[in-house]
Amino acid sequence: MNDEITKETHDPVFLEDRREAALKVAAKQPDQVNLNSLYLRYLVLPAIFLTVALLGGLRIADDGAFVFFRPALVCLIFGTILLVLFARSGVLRLDGWFSESFTPLKNAANGFVIATLFSAAVQAFNSLLPEQGLTFWIVAFCFFWTLWNNLFADFDVRKLFRSLGGLFGLAFVTKYLILANLTAPAGRTWFEALTENPGQEAITRLLDLPRYSGTTGYIQFFAVGLFLLGLYLFPSTTRE
Amino acid sequence: MYSKDAGIIAMKEEYIQILGIAVVLIYGIFVVFLYAAEPRSLEEIPSKAIETVQNAATKGQVMTGTYEIDQSKFDEGLNAFRQNNFVLARDSFAKADPERRDAETQYYVAYSFYRQGWGRLSNDDAMFKQALESLERVNFIDKNFRSDDADLQLRTPAELKNELEEGLRVTADDFNPLKVLRERK
Repeated sequence: MNDEITKETHDPVFLEDRREAALKVAAKQPDQVNLNSLYLRYLVLPAIFLTVALLGGLRIADDGAFVFFRPALVCLIFGTILLVLFARSGVLRLDGWFSESFTPLKNAANGFVIATLFSAAVQAFNSLLPEQGLTFWIVAFCFFWTLWNNLFADFDVRKLFRSLGGLFGLAFVTKYLILANLTAPAGRTWFEALTENPGQEAITRLLDLPRYSGTTGYIQFFAVGLFLLGLYLFPSTTRE
Repeated sequence: MYSKDAGIIAMKEEYIQILGIAVVLIYGIFVVFLYAAEPRSLEEIPSKAIETVQNAATKGQVMTGTYEIDQSKFDEGLNAFRQNNFVLARDSFAKADPERRDAETQYYVAYSFYRQGWGRLSNDDAMFKQALESLERVNFIDKNFRSDDADLQLRTPAELKNELEEGLRVTADDFNPLKVLRERK
């Protein structure tokens, strides 16, 4: 049996066949890689970003009802600044996504992908900003301050992701841990509110905090995580 | 061999791009629909979708100039109006003319507010004001509108408007005890 194997491995015809087969596999691999990157770019990424756009404004009321919270104008501004930051840091190279050398179909398809990225960015801010009141303006100002400073800083991809991760993480903790714990539950009478936890009730009314179910935090954690995953998978260029 | 493979990939690339655009459009429209319709539960989504499609169809009819009222709903409203069931009448008129573009239907809506708000001793000002708002729509749709319903004593928007404005105005005549003898028009 061993003799047969040794004989085969020294057989020039057998070796030539093996080499050809290996070359064929090697030739096919880049095609498969190309195909996978196409699936990722035109199907997976838009699906991820649109899911973020869907979930970013979703809140669950105390009675379990869906509340679709539309993004405030400031979220659109933040989304635009974020896209400019992506372009500045090289996460998104515009000449790699839109070019005269591309077919119109490719330019259009790329445009749709960028549009989904923008909608996800807007909804990520919608998810992280408090809905109303004083806290909305404070957190919005902090976001604006950070993004504005970032616009003039020297950036690379890694630094931008670190900055974004920190910004989003802090905003998430502020809204869904700190403010959510300061919010008094809904459905209590005045007497119950004053006797059970007057401080919580006072803060809720003073800061105009909306009363949502705890499920909202889980959904938004998933949405923000999905957005960051989408950014991680996002190719800076579509040139081969 | 290489060029053949490259051709297949290029062809597949186009298919994937077209598929990607289709996915984005369909999913994007779904997301926009959810934020526009604001269903409160998963069970509400189909009914909201039907409502949205119907609204879109009506808007399409308006844009193409083929908008027509739902005659059966209008007849239901008219029956209710004649039986002095004005709330039901307005509900049926609203369903018959969702875009509020039919002068006759809007005139009946205004008239229903007038009749419901009319009182022998005093009128309901809120009802009369709503009647005036509906009359403004009638004038906007058809300035020369004239009802051919023999049951209505006030056949034109001008007559009805005058009656409503008289009802809203406080005058010495309002304290005339003989006022209780007047009839609703």
